[in-house]
Amino acid sequence: MKFEWRLAALKNGFQDATAYQIEFLFEILGSAFVPAAIQWVLWYALFQTGGATEIGGMGYQDMVFYTMVSLLFSQIRGGDHDFELGELIRNGQLSNYLLRPVSVVEFIYIRGVAPRLFIALLCLSIGVFLGFLFDFSVLRMFGAMLLALIGNIIHYQIGASLATAAFYWEEAYSIFMVKNMLVSFLSGELIPLNLFPEKMQWIWKCTPFYLYVYGPTQYALGRWTHEEYLFQLGVAALWLFGAWAMIKLSWGVGMKRYLSLGG
Amino acid sequence: MNTSKAGSAVIVVKNIRRSFRSTVKKEGLKGALGLLFKPQFQEHEALKGVSFSLEQGSFNGLIGANGAGKTTLLKILSGLIPPSAGEARVLGHDPFKRALDFRRQIALVMGQKAQLWWDLPAMDAFDLLKAIYEIPTPLYQERLNTLAELLDVKRHLQTQIRRLSLGERMKMELIGAILHWPSVIFLDEPTIGLDVFAAHKLREFLKVFNHKEKATIILTSHNMDDIEKLCTRVLILRSGELIYDGRPQGLTEEGERRLRVRFMERTEPAQISKISGLPISSIEQSAESSEEDEKTESETPAYLIQLKQDQIVNVLQSLMQSLHIVDMGIEQQSLERVIQRIYSEEKELGTSPQAEHL
Repeated sequence: MKFEWRLAALKNGFQDATAYQIEFLFEILGSAFVPAAIQWVLWYALFQTGGATEIGGMGYQDMVFYTMVSLLFSQIRGGDHDFELGELIRNGQLSNYLLRPVSVVEFIYIRGVAPRLFIALLCLSIGVFLGFLFDFSVLRMFGAMLLALIGNIIHYQIGASLATAAFYWEEAYSIFMVKNMLVSFLSGELIPLNLFPEKMQWIWKCTPFYLYVYGPTQYALGRWTHEEYLFQLGVAALWLFGAWAMIKLSWGVGMKRYLSLGG
Repeated sequence: MNTSKAGSAVIVVKNIRRSFRSTVKKEGLKGALGLLFKPQFQEHEALKGVSFSLEQGSFNGLIGANGAGKTTLLKILSGLIPPSAGEARVLGHDPFKRALDFRRQIALVMGQKAQLWWDLPAMDAFDLLKAIYEIPTPLYQERLNTLAELLDVKRHLQTQIRRLSLGERMKMELIGAILHWPSVIFLDEPTIGLDVFAAHKLREFLKVFNHKEKATIILTSHNMDDIEKLCTRVLILRSGELIYDGRPQGLTEEGERRLRVRFMERTEPAQISKISGLPISSIEQSAESSEEDEKTESETPAYLIQLKQDQIVNVLQSLMQSLHIVDMGIEQQSLERVIQRIYSEEKELGTSPQAEHL
C-alpha cells in the first residue's frame, strides 16, 4: 500500500475544506449545537417540566450526558463526499479522477475525510477533558473514537455504493437524503437507541448505523463492557468487508454505463 | 516515460462503434408525465466503425463539426467509456480496463472541463499530482519550473484557481495534465476561450513538448490555426465516420481553388455563372474590391470564384471568350474554408441533437 499519495490527498482535502475558515467553523459548530440544543430542550421538558423520572432506564442526568458525549461522535460520521461522488457521476467530472492512477472511491474518501479527522482530534481532546471533569475513562474515550472513525468509513462505503445509482438514474440526490435521514435517527444522534421499544430494537441492530454514534457513546459512558465493545468491533469489521464488496460490485457494473457527459 | 519504440503505432483503433441511448422528453406536462410513467428512448450512433493507427511522437488533429464524434473517440481512447463494438489499443493497453500503468502514461485535457480544484491554488494541486504520479522531488521542481516559465504563469502558482483568468486557468490545467510527462496526450479544444497571445503560447509549448519528448498527441480543435500550425496529420470525422486521414496540406492541395478575377466591363455574378457554367453560389464579390469600389467608382469589382483545380482551364477559356480579363490570380483554398465546407455538408446530412452534448 502506497502512503505518499494518500497523505498528500489528506493534506489537500484539509486545505480544500478549510479554504474558507469561517464557513468551516460555522459548519462544525452549527451542525453540532443545533441538534444538541433540541435534545436538551426535549429532555428538560420531559424530566424537569413533565415530571418524568426515568425513560428507558435513563434519568435526566443520563440523558444530558448522552447528549453531550454523542455530540462528539455525531460530528465524525458526517461529510458529504458520497453526495460528491453521485454529483461527479452525474455531471461527468468523475472523468478527471478516473484518469488518475488511483482508486477514485478511495481518493474521494481520503480528501473528504481530512476535515473529519481534524474534528475527531478536536472532539477527542474535548472528550478527554470531559473524562477528567466527570470521571469517564480516557481509554474508553479513545476506543469510542476509534469505533466512530470506523463508522465514518462504513458510512462512506454505503454512500459510495448508493452513488452508483447515478450511473442509472443520473440524479441520485434523494437517495442520499433518505439515507441521511435514516442515519440521523438510527445512529442514535437524535435519541438514545435503547429508547426503542423492546420489540423494535431489531430495526437499528440490523443496520451498521448504531456503530456511528450510539455505540461509541455507550462505550465512552461505560454502558458497554469491554467484551461488548470488542464484539461490536468485530461486527464493524464485517460491515466494512461487506460494504467494500458492495462497492466493488456496484462500481464494476455501474462504470459500464458511465457516459462521461459534459465535455 | 515512453515505453514504445520510435515509429511504432501507439494507438490502434479497429472498427470502433459507439452508440448512446437517451430518453426522449416531449414538451409540456404531458411530456413530463410520459417520461415518469412510460419513458421512451432513442439510440444515437456517435461513432460508426472508425479505424486508424497513430505513430509514436506524431501530432494529430482530430476535427469535425459539433456532434461528429471527436470527444466520444477521445473518451474511448482515454478509457473513460467503452466502445459498443470494435477494438482500441493505446500503448498496448485496452483503455477501458484502465490499468494503472496505462493511466500513468496518458493525459486528457478538456478545454471545457476543469480538472484542478477550484478553491485551491494550483501549487497545492500540483503537489498532490506529484505524489499521485510518484514524481521525484528534483524532477518535479525542474518540470514545474520549465512549464511555468514556458507558459508564463509562475507568478500565479499560489493564486486560487477560481481567481485566475480563463487563459491562466487553461495553462494551469495543461501543466497539471502533463506534469507526469505522459506518452500520449489527448487535448480536447485546449485553446477554447484563450486570447491570441495565450493560444500562441500554448501552441508553442505543445510543439516543443511533442518534439522534445516524442509524445503522441491528438488534438481536437475548431481553431484551424491550431491544426495548421501543430499537426502533421489530420483525421476528419463526419457524423461518426472517418472521412479523411492524411496530411493537413492534402486537404488544400487536392481540394478546391479560388480564382480571383477582375473584368474590364462591369459584370454581374449571374452573368459569370452563365458563362462559366458554375453555380452562382460559388461566385462572390471580393470584400476588398467592395471597399475599393466605394472609393473609385470607375474601377470594376473583383470576383472570387470557387472551383476545382481541373476546372480552372475550361472556366478561364469560357470567360476569356466572352469578357475581357484585366487582372487574375489563383489562390489555394484555406484549410478553414475546406473544413467549413465539410461542416456544412455534415449539417446537410443532419446531426441529432443528442450528439451535440456527447
